[in-house]
Amino acid sequence: MTDFLFTQVLTELEDAVGRENCSTRDIDKLTHGVDYFWLSRMWADRGLRMPEADYIVSPKNAQETSAVLKIANYYKIPVTTWGGGGGTQGGAIPVAGGILLDTKRMDAITEFNEKGMYIECGAGTIYKHLEWKANERGYATMHYPSSLTCSTVGGFLAHRGIGVVSTKYGKIDDMVLGMEVVLPDGTIIHTSPAPKHAAGPDLNQIFIGSEGTLGVMTKAQMRIYDMPEERRFRGFLFRNMTDAFDAARELLQKFKPSVMRLYDPAETASLIKKIVGVEREGAFMNVAIEGVSEMVELEQKILLSTFAKYGAEDLGSEYGEKWWKEKITFFYPGHMMDLPQMFGTMDTIAPYGKIEEIYWAMKKAIETNFPQAKFIAHFSHWYEWGAMVYDRFIVDGKDVPTDPKEAMRLHNAIWNCGVRTAIANGGVVNDHHGVGIKLGRLMKEQYGPAMKVFEGLKRELDPNGIMNPFKLGL
Amino acid sequence: MSFSNKCRETADACRFCWMCRHICPVGNTTGQERNTARARALSLSLVGRGAAELKGDLVQNVYECALCRACTEDCKTGWDPVLFTREARREAVLSGEAPEAVRLLLETYAKTGHIYGAEPKNKAFSDAARRHAAKTDVLFYVGSDARHFAKDKALGAIALLERAKVSFTLLEKEPESGRQLSFLCGDTKETRDAMQAAAALYSGYKTVVFYEPEDARTAKQDAPELGIAAKAKLVTFPAYLETLIGKKLKVKKGTAVYTFQDPAALARALEDVSSARAVLSACGELKEMLLAGKETVLAGDLILDRYLHETVLGMAKRRWDEAVNMGAKTLVTADTAEYLALSATKPKGARVITLEEAIAECL
Repeated sequence: MTDFLFTQVLTELEDAVGRENCSTRDIDKLTHGVDYFWLSRMWADRGLRMPEADYIVSPKNAQETSAVLKIANYYKIPVTTWGGGGGTQGGAIPVAGGILLDTKRMDAITEFNEKGMYIECGAGTIYKHLEWKANERGYATMHYPSSLTCSTVGGFLAHRGIGVVSTKYGKIDDMVLGMEVVLPDGTIIHTSPAPKHAAGPDLNQIFIGSEGTLGVMTKAQMRIYDMPEERRFRGFLFRNMTDAFDAARELLQKFKPSVMRLYDPAETASLIKKIVGVEREGAFMNVAIEGVSEMVELEQKILLSTFAKYGAEDLGSEYGEKWWKEKITFFYPGHMMDLPQMFGTMDTIAPYGKIEEIYWAMKKAIETNFPQAKFIAHFSHWYEWGAMVYDRFIVDGKDVPTDPKEAMRLHNAIWNCGVRTAIANGGVVNDHHGVGIKLGRLMKEQYGPAMKVFEGLKRELDPNGIMNPFKLGL
Repeated sequence: MSFSNKCRETADACRFCWMCRHICPVGNTTGQERNTARARALSLSLVGRGAAELKGDLVQNVYECALCRACTEDCKTGWDPVLFTREARREAVLSGEAPEAVRLLLETYAKTGHIYGAEPKNKAFSDAARRHAAKTDVLFYVGSDARHFAKDKALGAIALLERAKVSFTLLEKEPESGRQLSFLCGDTKETRDAMQAAAALYSGYKTVVFYEPEDARTAKQDAPELGIAAKAKLVTFPAYLETLIGKKLKVKKGTAVYTFQDPAALARALEDVSSARAVLSACGELKEMLLAGKETVLAGDLILDRYLHETVLGMAKRRWDEAVNMGAKTLVTADTAEYLALSATKPKGARVITLEEAIAECL
């Protein structure tokens, strides 16, 4: 683009969002070039600049977002949407340059509906702020991922996020009633006034998980819940994971705990030992039950009797309470994997009967093909029909190539191996971190001919292909 | 660049971590990604790796921080983003890359001893200084913020001390505490000189009572970290008032409901979240905000206000929203900058008063 045209577009964007909310400054470019994706972090750690946007815009509402998208469409400039930048899949990185649309100025609370039990807010609202708003009136959002404090409502919706009490309260896609979305051509639409209808497919679910490829979510109605009268924890040690799976499956036919986290023996011996203090062989499981006290009392009885049938050792409440207190500590620098290590979380989901097989197959595939990689896992989101595995690979810094391109090659090879193994054994590309640029190439392998549904939506809604190019395999 | 190893280590720890984003008063107000500890850390780590230069908008960004330590308080690991922010400011000043607004403030400081310029004249204040010119055991240190922008409030505090029949010294002119240079330049020779001059003054008294929490923090924490310690008991005004309540100040508990806006320096660095509450509990009922005590959110800063006025007002507005959501109608402050910003953004039907004004209501 010529300097003349670049400046012309800049003035139009400034007109759309206000000059102070449109930047071409170095600080804004480099800040939006690195998210939580390991490759972007490694790139920066090696003193390299990631691909950067040419313009950074911060619209205040759907109208300003619409104006930006109309400009982008006219000039055919890529648009990448950025919420908090806490994503692990590179979904928010402006790999094609162009416009970076930061949503965080869209943070207004527009409705607090206590009868309908939801808060309507801008998609750029930091989720922790939404939690505070709910707490001020005695409610809770019950969406508590490790990135609660850093990520936005729109960010969680864009990649189908999940929190630690999901087994009882659901994923982010269970927590949204309606949304305002700006389509790539600038049209502002609203999904249905309520979900769970029979008026065709659920429009919410078309945009949730679309990672900014089909439009920009600008407002959402997010559910709130009564604060539980009490929340009780119980730690258990299983002899092996098979017993734990059987126990958990049976329990979930009876009621839903809020937290269920099963750690494989390797993670029990590493992270759990370090943070929670359990120093025993076996598979540690942490369970929380919560709600009305009388129900909690009954559920605890069912929990203890069910798990006893499978030989679980009752470790009492102390470990679980400690885990709850420290659940975010895991993710602060110095507690987690960090550079120069290479690491990644290849979370996937499958029905019971397959999920444990997937775990063993992935573990074998990673450890056989990449002996320099350590494989640890836990299972932290459970349903009546199945569960997800949160499996991580970790490569020590000494085994990570110093050449960044070689490091990328190894990183992508490990991911290909792990995710293809998951798919081959009945899993899905990803459970709750999304796809981004990291896994886009594997979407077609997952969906085969079904991918044309996504591609058709993309073609129709975004014929110029400006929205978050090279993400989600679109 | 001459960043310390600790600075580099801290920036490298923070550069890929977003965990404290939610608590930053500046970032929450502007909605800008650059106004995060991680953005400053990332930019400085890239500077350290030769991928960016510490000039222009990168430097401007390190000044878009109030140094309120909300991020430091929030960090579960104990990293302190203020460390690299201050070192970056020092580097910028020493290399002549400080933003124009900062350069002008420093020029004013060089000419007048304060970044705010010459102190406004106030006859009532001068009269008070004459009444309390005699050397006593107690120095009432007013500080630059109140002297330049809220002498009437300082006079209210002086009147309360007089009513309590406290014997104290009030200076017509005070040396600046060192807070201003520390904020703008970090650890430079000039900063140390300012702190040293202030410490020499404090050391002439048995007790120094600081009206401004930021000056108290500078004297009690920042200066000692640089090896500059005053030989005096250093006390914050709320803590001093607590010692007077029920003794020299007989208050009658009323029906008023007060919500205390914890000054960041008082609650976090000086770890005093109880003195003001003890005072207010003696005067009326206390109603807390959701984020109170060490989790307080900064609602004003007069240095930042010199070059980010709208942002400071935005911070105060957000704080009012939080207060109003919890049903607060009377916010009580113990920091001039917060008093001024909260007064300027006060919603209809609400009021903001100082701690000493709350006491005066109940005498």
